[in-house]
Amino acid sequence: MGIKFLTLVILAGILFFVVDLIRRSRLTFKYAVGWIFICLLGIFFVIFDQLLFRLAGWFGFLLPSNFIFFVLLCFFILLSLFLTIFLCQQNSRNDTIAQKIGLLELEIKKLKEIIKPR
Amino acid sequence: MPKELKSEVKTLVVVPAFNESGNVGRVVQELLSLPLRLTVLVIDDGSTDATAREAGEAGALVVMLPFNVGIGAAVQTGFKYAFEHNFDIAVQVDGDGQHDVVYLEKLIDPIRKGTADMVIGSRFMEPFTGYRSSFIRRVGIHFFAGLISFLTGCRVTDPTSGFRACHRALFTKFIEEYPHDFPEPEAIMAARHYGVRLMEVPVQMRKRVKGHSSIRYVRTLYYMVKVTFAILLSMLKPQGRLS
Repeated sequence: MGIKFLTLVILAGILFFVVDLIRRSRLTFKYAVGWIFICLLGIFFVIFDQLLFRLAGWFGFLLPSNFIFFVLLCFFILLSLFLTIFLCQQNSRNDTIAQKIGLLELEIKKLKEIIKPR
Repeated sequence: MPKELKSEVKTLVVVPAFNESGNVGRVVQELLSLPLRLTVLVIDDGSTDATAREAGEAGALVVMLPFNVGIGAAVQTGFKYAFEHNFDIAVQVDGDGQHDVVYLEKLIDPIRKGTADMVIGSRFMEPFTGYRSSFIRRVGIHFFAGLISFLTGCRVTDPTSGFRACHRALFTKFIEEYPHDFPEPEAIMAARHYGVRLMEVPVQMRKRVKGHSSIRYVRTLYYMVKVTFAILLSMLKPQGRLS
């Protein structure tokens, strides 16, 4: 019962933290939804742990703890891949903005030279 | 396929430069002293030295990027300018002074005549009389030349040369997507995907006057592995056509 309670408290704490971050506009719902979903799923499996044991058995895991570690590992690998994609997109957008700023500054400079009083 | 251009073509020379103070001013002066009608656009890629001031004083237009975006994005900035201002040809000349600009006319001639859409200045078509790069780098260049020639079916001898010219039809494609990681060899792959007519002309290059190259000895092997992957992966990209 002790470990279940501890897991529940940690998951509820993370869920509360994520919701609070959205409330304070530090995180948008788009990026928080995955974390909320994982927390709720975790809480569900803590409450209905027999379902977790049965799932682990179906997938061929002798110990439910190994199943949990495996699922967590897959989750973090996927998360890391999605973050890399996101980083790449942001990098590309930054470059486009930098190009735009540079080109606009040049156009402004050229216009200023045209309208400069003689 | 793009046809022969009118006799009075608008040519933009794009000079990407990152901390090239001491080199870039001379490059701009040499370009502007050529008996050709050129507009020289220096892309100051977030330099922390006097690159922009030096280029401006020498008579070039200068785009100052707010931070370093890398050579691919810097050259793409030039293509965007060329597109917006209706240039017919965009030529890339490095800001370090290694490219001997007297060969620039040879570079743009095939595009003017309508016999090529992309022309690359190659160091390896004629015996060297100019600057020879290090042995390991020459090995790398020959390796990429063989790989790209094999993959594209078009003989390329100097795929890492940044001394190149593009027809408007091609740089219009490049403003949408231009390789950022290893732009020179990857741009050839991208160009072949668009079905462009690629040509090389012999040029000589010089040793840089100040500073050092961004690709140095120990990094060369690592660079080769990365570029090989980039070239192979570029084969998987969807093909397009020039309008």
